[in-house]
Amino acid sequence: MTEQKLLGIRPSTAGLVAGGIVVIGVLLWMFVNKGLLIVAGAGVFGPGILREFGWLNDQDEFQRQAARRAGYHAWLVGGTAAVLILSMLQSGKQGAEVSIEWIGLILALMWLTWMFSALLTYWGARRTTSVVLLTFGSFWLLFVVATIISEVGEYSLGTNLLGVLASITIVGPFFVGAWAVHRWPRVTGAVLVVIASLFTWQFGPWGKDDWSTQLLTLTLLALPLFACGIALLRNVGSEES
Amino acid sequence: MAQRHEITSHVKLHRRQVHDMTQQELADRVGVTRQTILSIERGRYNPSVGLALRIAEVFGVPVEDLFEIPGENRDD
Repeated sequence: MTEQKLLGIRPSTAGLVAGGIVVIGVLLWMFVNKGLLIVAGAGVFGPGILREFGWLNDQDEFQRQAARRAGYHAWLVGGTAAVLILSMLQSGKQGAEVSIEWIGLILALMWLTWMFSALLTYWGARRTTSVVLLTFGSFWLLFVVATIISEVGEYSLGTNLLGVLASITIVGPFFVGAWAVHRWPRVTGAVLVVIASLFTWQFGPWGKDDWSTQLLTLTLLALPLFACGIALLRNVGSEES
Repeated sequence: MAQRHEITSHVKLHRRQVHDMTQQELADRVGVTRQTILSIERGRYNPSVGLALRIAEVFGVPVEDLFEIPGENRDD
């Protein structure tokens, strides 16, 4: 199958449509109107809602089991985070108001927990890590290319070429890691844990008054790499096709 | 993280050595994904009774020939 050779996965039609809606929703949220985040939300939660109503039947029993187990993990992590954040905010140490960043942090934790739990159960550590790194790399690449295109008129050709080279330096390691995980899973796992630790050290809330933005950044940048690294170090023995 | 279960699967043995079938072929016959067949063969997933019976039907063997609890005396 062509799709299997592409990324080692064969996404369902519903998964592809949902993914497309999420990407469109995020772009609309970034460039058009913040309220259009609801479009991305429809892509994230829509398929699950349709499945629960019995209107979408695209998963087999192992996929359903993985998704439901992941839902329980997301409930535990999201609920614990919400209680901790609420307690911290009400103690008065982090400001009295619940900001958008705090809500975003809880949503991001819930979603990432669900995604990782489901993918690790279904695919195992190696394939999950490979796809996560490819996704990370692709998003960075899109972001960098979009930035360069938007600045074409402002800088010289040499400066723009330098930007392209810099982007390869940023994006390259993600694609190298996606390849290396199949050959040297433990080494890749250890490297990811180190990188995630460096991210935490660099972008952590150390000494800041409001932790929400830093914790959200860490959740989106460091947590996926840390989760992949730990999963690779723990689970590599008995998996993969 | 994947669950570990105390059940040994002989699905791979039957699929490859007896029936010379690919994972995808078996998956299509029983209506699941190839990844699910892979996980059953690796012992990462225990199928439902219904799926175990469908796999056994494809191979034409009793379901006890495909799955066993290690150390259990099957002649009892």
